[in-house]
Amino acid sequence: MLGPNGAGKTSTLEMLEGLNDIDGGVASIDGLDVSKDTHQVKKIIGVQLQANEYFDRMSLSELLLLFGKLYAQDSNPLELLTRVNLEDKASAKPAALSGGQKQRFSIACALVNNPKVLFLDEPTTGLDPQAKRNLWQLVKDLNSSGMTIVLTTHNMEEAEYLCDRIAIMDQGKIIAENTPQNLILEHAAEPPKAKLHGNIEDVFLALTGHALRD
Amino acid sequence: MFTSLQLHLAKVFLKIFLRDRQSIVFTLLFPLIFTGVFLFSSGEPDPIKLGLINQSQSTIAADFSDLVIDEPLFEITQGDLQSLRQELINGDQTALILIPTNFKQEEDSTQITLLLDASQVRQAGAIEETLNRSLISIEREIRGIEPMFNLEVEDVQARPQRYIDFLLPGILAYMLMNLCIAGSGFNVVEYRRRGILKRLFVTPIQAKDFIVAIIISRMVIILTQISVILGLALTLLDIRIAGSLASLYGMVIIGTFIFLCIGFFLGSLAKTQEAIRPIVALTTFPQLILSGVFFPISALHELLQPIAHALPLSVIVSGLRGISNDGASLLSFNLTTIGILIWMAISFFIATKYFVWKEVAN
Repeated sequence: MLGPNGAGKTSTLEMLEGLNDIDGGVASIDGLDVSKDTHQVKKIIGVQLQANEYFDRMSLSELLLLFGKLYAQDSNPLELLTRVNLEDKASAKPAALSGGQKQRFSIACALVNNPKVLFLDEPTTGLDPQAKRNLWQLVKDLNSSGMTIVLTTHNMEEAEYLCDRIAIMDQGKIIAENTPQNLILEHAAEPPKAKLHGNIEDVFLALTGHALRD
Repeated sequence: MFTSLQLHLAKVFLKIFLRDRQSIVFTLLFPLIFTGVFLFSSGEPDPIKLGLINQSQSTIAADFSDLVIDEPLFEITQGDLQSLRQELINGDQTALILIPTNFKQEEDSTQITLLLDASQVRQAGAIEETLNRSLISIEREIRGIEPMFNLEVEDVQARPQRYIDFLLPGILAYMLMNLCIAGSGFNVVEYRRRGILKRLFVTPIQAKDFIVAIIISRMVIILTQISVILGLALTLLDIRIAGSLASLYGMVIIGTFIFLCIGFFLGSLAKTQEAIRPIVALTTFPQLILSGVFFPISALHELLQPIAHALPLSVIVSGLRGISNDGASLLSFNLTTIGILIWMAISFFIATKYFVWKEVAN
């Protein structure tokens, strides 16, 4: 999901995650109505929020054990940490992690219940290029293992690189939704003869305009 | 009784607490300071500081002032009116006794003047009474009269009871309330502000799991604190507890439950870290005054009494006092029991029903 600040990306995610009430329309995940079967939905989704703070004075593996318990499971912290390349940080506290490590740990927490759908809210915001690439690889790997991933981002390159389908949101509405290629064909400026001339940023600006958002 | 999630979460909260060295030090320090304050304040009352100005030359005035000086309740400084008046204004003396020049007749009663500082006027009643009593006994001694009668106070229930025996259950309950509300209300607001609660809420956890877990972990901490205080009170302060310790602990557990739940509710009511303090103050301070911690509720204005009796702190204070002072059992059924049951239900209901996981935008 792409969109300028305040477009409603996070609100949309939070509605799907059962955090926000849905005041109109229907949302369903894997055949479950989100507003009716919220509890069931929570069992099959994994969530990484924009703010990822955890209890103080608990190590990463203790926190992963706790998250497992929240799904009534005995999780294997070391295995989860290995999946996100944090196996050597098992006894570290979240406060001691770098930005990229924190994001990866958040994803490890979101994976404890082996979710069908993983929600990532701006997972690479504030990361350095190395950490960003590293996280992209992780997302790609998870996706190729069969997990559906819904993510929001401001980063066009990220959307283009990671996503099979992109929805562009503005002022609470999805104004375009398609594969990256089709979006470029339909919306990028100056109709070209060549198949792919622009990029998703051209599409984004053509759709949402150049005015500055807060 | 508890789910494995609730127990695991409780263990996590206990670990978080036990790994916080600073809070452990203060937790243990608190009961020590508490007992210390009582240890030093519950002994003999401090003597009243009095200035004595004897303007009479008569022997009877000299005898009188000797007896006043010997009175153990007073700490006497002798001097002239001008310098002592200055000391009184400075607050170095509580009051001045002025023996006038005409203090000599044995038949007529003579006026002795008591000079007071208006800013200390609240103590005046107490001093006047003590002074009057002492003066009467001094007079008797001078005149050689035997007192006609002696007033002996006897408790109908034949239990020696000091103010501290009355005070301890009240203080215990008040302390319980503060510890609990700090342990739940403040924590919840902080966890919510940092988005920790929101992260938990996208998992299948329910408010009651979270609340029960904090209650279990806080219960362990608070029972430890209370045990230290009780242990010190029983050994150092020679407090007598008429009922059984089991009943007392039972009541402490019930109180912890009610106050933690109220704390959760206040934590949900407060949108921000800044708001929680006044909200907590507004709930705890009136109860400190109204709930019979320092003086019985019957001393309040008649219109206030029914409200005062219904407050959560009141029911816990009277429950603890019943056990500690009157030897009641936790299981004995009375009005307090009804109040306790009602508050348990109300507090758990409002804590779970209105629990807010998400930061609420202003």
